[in-house]
Amino acid sequence: MPANPKYLTQSKWQRFAKITAAILGGYFVSVTFHLALASWFNRANILMTMAFSGFILWVVLMVVAFLAKSGWKIWGIYILLTLIFSLFIYLGQTYNPTAQ
Amino acid sequence: MSNRNYNIYFHTHTVSGIVISVVLFVIFFAGSFSFFRDEIINWERSESTAITKEIQLDYNTALDTLNKKYILHGRNITISKPSTERRVAVYMEGTKDTLAPAKQKEGQFFYLDTKNFKTFTYEESYSLGEFLYRLHFLAQVPYPVGYYLSGFVALFFLFAIITGVLLHWKKIVSNFYVFRPKEKLKTLWTDAHTALGMIGLPFQFVYAVTGAFFMIKLLIVAPAVMALYKGDQDKLYKELEYTDPDYKFDNKKLATPFNMDQLVAKAKSNWSDFEITRVFIQNYGDANMHVLVEGEIPNHKKFTGVGKVIYRISDGKEIAKKNPITQTNYLDVVKNVLYRIHYGDYGGYALKIVSFILGIITCFVIISGVMIWLVARQKNNMPEKKRRFNAAVVRIYLAICLSMYPITALAFIVTKIFYPLTQNNLYTIYFVGWLILTVFFIFKKNDAFTNKFCLISGSILGFLIPITNGIVSGKWFWTSFMQNKIQVFVIDVFWIVLASISLYVAYHLKAKKESAAEK
Repeated sequence: MPANPKYLTQSKWQRFAKITAAILGGYFVSVTFHLALASWFNRANILMTMAFSGFILWVVLMVVAFLAKSGWKIWGIYILLTLIFSLFIYLGQTYNPTAQ
Repeated sequence: MSNRNYNIYFHTHTVSGIVISVVLFVIFFAGSFSFFRDEIINWERSESTAITKEIQLDYNTALDTLNKKYILHGRNITISKPSTERRVAVYMEGTKDTLAPAKQKEGQFFYLDTKNFKTFTYEESYSLGEFLYRLHFLAQVPYPVGYYLSGFVALFFLFAIITGVLLHWKKIVSNFYVFRPKEKLKTLWTDAHTALGMIGLPFQFVYAVTGAFFMIKLLIVAPAVMALYKGDQDKLYKELEYTDPDYKFDNKKLATPFNMDQLVAKAKSNWSDFEITRVFIQNYGDANMHVLVEGEIPNHKKFTGVGKVIYRISDGKEIAKKNPITQTNYLDVVKNVLYRIHYGDYGGYALKIVSFILGIITCFVIISGVMIWLVARQKNNMPEKKRRFNAAVVRIYLAICLSMYPITALAFIVTKIFYPLTQNNLYTIYFVGWLILTVFFIFKKNDAFTNKFCLISGSILGFLIPITNGIVSGKWFWTSFMQNKIQVFVIDVFWIVLASISLYVAYHLKAKKESAAEK
């Protein structure tokens, strides 16, 4: 029995927004989240951890994006998170000395 | 779980699963055989070697031989052992001596036989083991398409695993004990898919994550380099301890003699059970010659224990040392664990066999998933056109996937008879044979026939593998057992067992298919 279409996204645009938010948005959030941590804490260890947690978080965010009520809203949230994490990366890079 | 979430998991699981299914099957099927890559390589050459990751080489003789052929002066030379076979890999950079002839400034990569010191290029050393290993990350598809394709398939496989678990969450315990093979076909596929999916879950999760990392790590490395290292990737690799220290070329002849065997033995004697896995010589024969000897503690003694010693040759002093027992940090652990749990090479043959079985179980989970997809869509309320389209999709999927079995078995026989078979010929036989079989099954339009034909022909060819080996090399599996040629023996017996099981399955399926067909 295929999934009940009653519960699935019908609008083409909504579907497009959700799929792109899942794959691209999820990627941006996962990467910037890890880099933000790495720029403030133990850089080498966090980057090494990212080798596996980066992909796991990305996929979890994909699932979350598909559960969202609105594709545009989830895009908004993911962009906002990406910007906040990017700000942390920027500040981390300014306040902490970079790798020699 | 709300009905909405359930249906979303259901739909995303179905779509992601059906999209990646064929490629994922190829990856898991070839990957399962890759657990025995080293055995296949040895079997093909009728060689055998001690089962150890340690390089077993007479370094002095090896370097003398290479020196005569290539002139080593001023070069950086790396000797490593990528797989358990008689050959070690040698990578030489061009000499740093600017006055040397152009020929000596060229880098070289080849394999060196540790017994007779013959060298082989990559192509000359190409084997069925290497072929199947590389097929499992689609390396035969032009770079970088194959690598990225397999990497993203691994990523979406992880997605399918997670949505699958969420979807199945409520019935995880109760359904585990449910198997109704006598019921209608749909329930047979569903029960098999969920139960085997649950059994294989930890295994599949590990392979999805590590597989994605191996193939598309650039996606996380690139932004890290951009954001944290100002675009200088060398800094990243240095901080993650991937880089070896670099020593300058002095352009003065080394005055003191050196003995590489003694040096390696000295490094080895630092820690008990320390096994040498890589020797990196910098500025060979130069006043500033340095030798890095790297090794590890065997996995059963200490799971992560990588150590190294760096010697300066001019005065024989130890420049740096990393203790494999006390100085393993978090970076070493992650690097080691990501590879070990993917390669499954830390637990001897028991682990390899279990991993192979779990790999084949995953293949079955993939196929049963495709079958659920089809059976659920062959209802009478579906338009005829759509139903025919779905059936055609599944027919093509099954034709591609299942014909891998006889073709792989055939490739074993052909490589044995025509040893050494070149890379090109192996490609031709495997891919053309695969294509012909696939096309044949697509035109035959009978999924049950495809299945049965593949299992039976694969079994027959499988039984012929040890027989071919016996006739061609004179080493029947009992003689190789008695002569302690362990790798040759393992592959022969492996195929006898595998062929027996698939033959049993093929004939056992007969009765069930008919009763199921009338559902």
